[in-house]
Amino acid sequence: MWVKLAFRLFAREFRRGELTIIFAAIALAVLTVFSLSSVTERIGLNIEKKTSDFIAADRRLSSNHEFTENYLDIASKEGLETASLLFFDSMLFANDELVLGSVKAVSEQYPLRGMVTIKDQLDELPYEVRGGPKVGSIWLSEGLFYTLNVNVGDTVELGAGQFKVSKVLINEPDAPFFSLAGNKRVLLNYLDVAKTQAVQAGSRVFHRLLFAGTEQQLADYYEWLKPQLKENQNWEGIKDRQSPLGENLARAERFLLLAGLFGIMLAAVAMAVSAKRYCERQYDPVAMMKTLGGSRQIIRNIFLTHLGLVTLVSIAIGLGLGFILQHIGANYLAQFMGTQLPEAGAKPWLLSAFIGVVCALMFSLKPLLDLFDIPPLRVLRRNLGDKLAISKIHMVSSLLTIFALMWLFSGQIILTLILFGSTLVVIGVLFAISRALFSFGRKLGLSPGSSWSLAIATLQKRANANAIQLISFALAIKLMLFLVVLKNDMISDWEMQVPEDAPNAFFINIPEQDISPITAFFNNNGITHEAFYPVFNARVNAVNGEELARRLSKQEGEEQDEDAREGVSREPNLTWLSDVPEGNEIIEGEWFSGGDEIEVSVFEGWKEVLDLELGDTISFLANEQRFDAKVTSFRSVDWGTLKPNFVMILSPNMAGKIPVTYFSAGKLESQHNKDISRLLQRHPTVSMIDIKSRLEQAQSIIAQVSLAIGFVLSIVLVSGALVLISQVQASLAERMQEVVILRTLGAKGRLIKLATLYEFILLGAIAGFVAALVSDVALLVIQQQLFDVEGRLHLYVWILGPVSGAVFVASIGYFMVANTMRQNTQGLLRKLS
Amino acid sequence: MSVLSQLNVIQVEGLTKRVSTLEGELTILSEINFSVKSGESVAIVGASGSGKSTLLSLLAGLDTASGGDIRLDGDALSTLDEEQRACIRAEKVGFVFQSFMLVQSLTALENVMLPAELAGDKKAKSQAIELLEKVGLSHRLAHYPSQLSGGEQQRVAIARAFIGSPKILFADEPSANLDSKNGHLIERLLFDLNKQNGTTLILVTHDEQLAQQCQRIIHIEGGKLEQIREGSAINVG
Repeated sequence: MWVKLAFRLFAREFRRGELTIIFAAIALAVLTVFSLSSVTERIGLNIEKKTSDFIAADRRLSSNHEFTENYLDIASKEGLETASLLFFDSMLFANDELVLGSVKAVSEQYPLRGMVTIKDQLDELPYEVRGGPKVGSIWLSEGLFYTLNVNVGDTVELGAGQFKVSKVLINEPDAPFFSLAGNKRVLLNYLDVAKTQAVQAGSRVFHRLLFAGTEQQLADYYEWLKPQLKENQNWEGIKDRQSPLGENLARAERFLLLAGLFGIMLAAVAMAVSAKRYCERQYDPVAMMKTLGGSRQIIRNIFLTHLGLVTLVSIAIGLGLGFILQHIGANYLAQFMGTQLPEAGAKPWLLSAFIGVVCALMFSLKPLLDLFDIPPLRVLRRNLGDKLAISKIHMVSSLLTIFALMWLFSGQIILTLILFGSTLVVIGVLFAISRALFSFGRKLGLSPGSSWSLAIATLQKRANANAIQLISFALAIKLMLFLVVLKNDMISDWEMQVPEDAPNAFFINIPEQDISPITAFFNNNGITHEAFYPVFNARVNAVNGEELARRLSKQEGEEQDEDAREGVSREPNLTWLSDVPEGNEIIEGEWFSGGDEIEVSVFEGWKEVLDLELGDTISFLANEQRFDAKVTSFRSVDWGTLKPNFVMILSPNMAGKIPVTYFSAGKLESQHNKDISRLLQRHPTVSMIDIKSRLEQAQSIIAQVSLAIGFVLSIVLVSGALVLISQVQASLAERMQEVVILRTLGAKGRLIKLATLYEFILLGAIAGFVAALVSDVALLVIQQQLFDVEGRLHLYVWILGPVSGAVFVASIGYFMVANTMRQNTQGLLRKLS
Repeated sequence: MSVLSQLNVIQVEGLTKRVSTLEGELTILSEINFSVKSGESVAIVGASGSGKSTLLSLLAGLDTASGGDIRLDGDALSTLDEEQRACIRAEKVGFVFQSFMLVQSLTALENVMLPAELAGDKKAKSQAIELLEKVGLSHRLAHYPSQLSGGEQQRVAIARAFIGSPKILFADEPSANLDSKNGHLIERLLFDLNKQNGTTLILVTHDEQLAQQCQRIIHIEGGKLEQIREGSAINVG
């Protein structure tokens, strides 16, 4: 019999809207966790895939020397996929044209990750393939077709071999983001290397092995490989520190995680408030049922059935909506990316359903247990049982649950502890501030009978309840402000790194005499370009007279600075500059003094590698010409920008002391392609590095991540709104009573309406102000600690906080009580009874 | 158990109720003794704060006494726990409250069915319809409490009180929240149904006129039983 009653009561309570908030809160928590974890997982998988694409593998091993070890055999035994690459320069010859090409010989399995972009003919559209040229064929980059005056199907000579040109090479996944190797790229089958006879003992070649597999396989393999690695063998992971995108994507992941945690926190608050409120609303019916002889068992069964039904239905709807949302979101993101996002596994389903159950149980159980304890005597003594509502156990269990959920979702105890701990501190501070503000308001002494004084009186009367409301509002606004600011800062930071007008082509090996015709060409074609930097190669020979080889200490491949290691093992590119370049910062010493002595400013990563100190003298060898430079500063370098960066910068007094070529960059449009090829033909020593596709890829990933962040932010905003609604709804009964009293006493509707509006405006503005204060200070810390973004105060937050708080709280609050105020006093009285 | 006590559907002996307050222990009821026969109508009267509502709550087993004993249809309430007292209420007791105490999410019909459903009675619906017809609300079955007037709500509460044919009906100021016309209507209904069903009626009121309609009037003052006198209904009933 109770089952029927339970379902009937559930249906009625649901229809009356009593369960709406608790239902929406669980559904929202499930939706938040589901959509966030699946979108994050899908984006994460995509990011991993993309990052892997950048190196065409999950890991790679590089060396200047041939790998004689059984590295590949063991890798295959571990179940890893492998590929071999060989880089060398060789002359290409066709139609009486001779040009030095950068050859990359690839084995059949290449690329293990990502795709190679090619065209069948010069004037056809590019497409992606997995794999390289077949034996006997080569693929040439577009520039080489113009330089050699060949077409697809022609034969060219590469070294001693003859090969058929079969495709136009547009891009390889692991093409260097920025390299001075040149744009005359040739892709060759690994088996054809011998045919070219270009690789002889002593030739300058670069060997690379690619590996792909599961994280576990890779970890196991590296454990075996680590002790065997030689100094000149460099193991690289996908988290390439110098990929400009790597940092940003890692930041985006952290942001999504943080936003997810905030979303959960807000949904949990909404749920705790609404569950408590729902149970409080059931005090009278339960007391009545007990009075009418309903046993504890029956009452327990009825309300546990309610909880079960609410949980089930809301989880199902949360999952359903979450699935649709993430599907739409992922599809939209996929359109941006031009690729499908990988499907998420079962984890988001299980995690979000589990979190829904935990939320429902943990936030409702204590209020429900209180409900079962409601004495039947309440039917006569109406306040009996009210004290049960203020339960420390409920508060503690709710807080512990929030903590557990955050930990479960993030899997990071430190981050959870920081966020949770700081939130507790914020709550304490807010409570003190709110009490102080309310008591200050009491001293304002506004004229009695005005809407403002009524609003302030109402605020003071419910000081404790308001303090709790204020804390919820402030927390919700704080979290929202926090995310809005972080999103704006992060995206503007990215946009600064990859600005719309960023150069997409680099010109290298420009002889001094070519500068003016090339400048003229740029100007005539409306191509924006950067200055011409002098560049030359030099070998770091000795430090303070000591041979370099002895100073190099063996370090762990992964932890060592990638650029530094590669740089030391070959000749770095040097320049001289009169000012500290953009994105660089002197962290030790002083910029050039302007004296006669040649000075050098060194990238900080090299300080440790070369064991350098300020005042040391570095001996360089450039084209048999030896010169010394004194280390006068160490610089931090932001490798995340697309600007040319140098590990060593010499003082401007180097000018004229050594032969150099020049280097510049410009922003090219597709209509410039032909003219540029002609320009390069007129200036055969000049090479162009086209990073257009890389740049577009970077920008599209940033757009994708920005969009994901916006999507996440909107979920958090809805959670925040739900907190506000649940809080206002919780105080609705009391407000109704007040309206009745005021109406009965003859207060005009306008007075009551304005008083309510002002009360919410005040509450929202105070909450917004406190939120702005707390979030901006917290942002300073988090941006620096977690996001590695330069922290700064945001004036607009101090305006946005109170204004948005007032508008948000007032509109939601006013809307909810407006209905109350429309009813006549008799109707309200009846409802209250 | 004497024959006399078997006839008494309510027997109160040395009933005392004390509560703890910040100022110390407060005695609300002290050494109350009286009995009520089956089918009798008894009014409990007294000024506000005299302890009459507390007495009602103790008689109905909604609260526990600090001393003394109450026998409700032979069961000593002091020996029963809350669950057992709830069982007794389900079987033998009906209630009418000043503030109606209807479940807002249930219709008039469902509110009347509620006690019978809690007791597992399968004829709950037909009984409830019959009772609502008796109180003149057959056209309001599907209305929610908020859609009914105060008088109508109390009529629903009266119908609910009589479902399951309780032996004892407790009424706490049943007409206090109503205008005089509706108040009289409710009172008449209550007494009529009481007579038809042979129910014992315990009525708490401060309305002397209403109290006079009962067979006996118990006067409580300052937590003590001041006087038991006969009402005008003794001659009628």
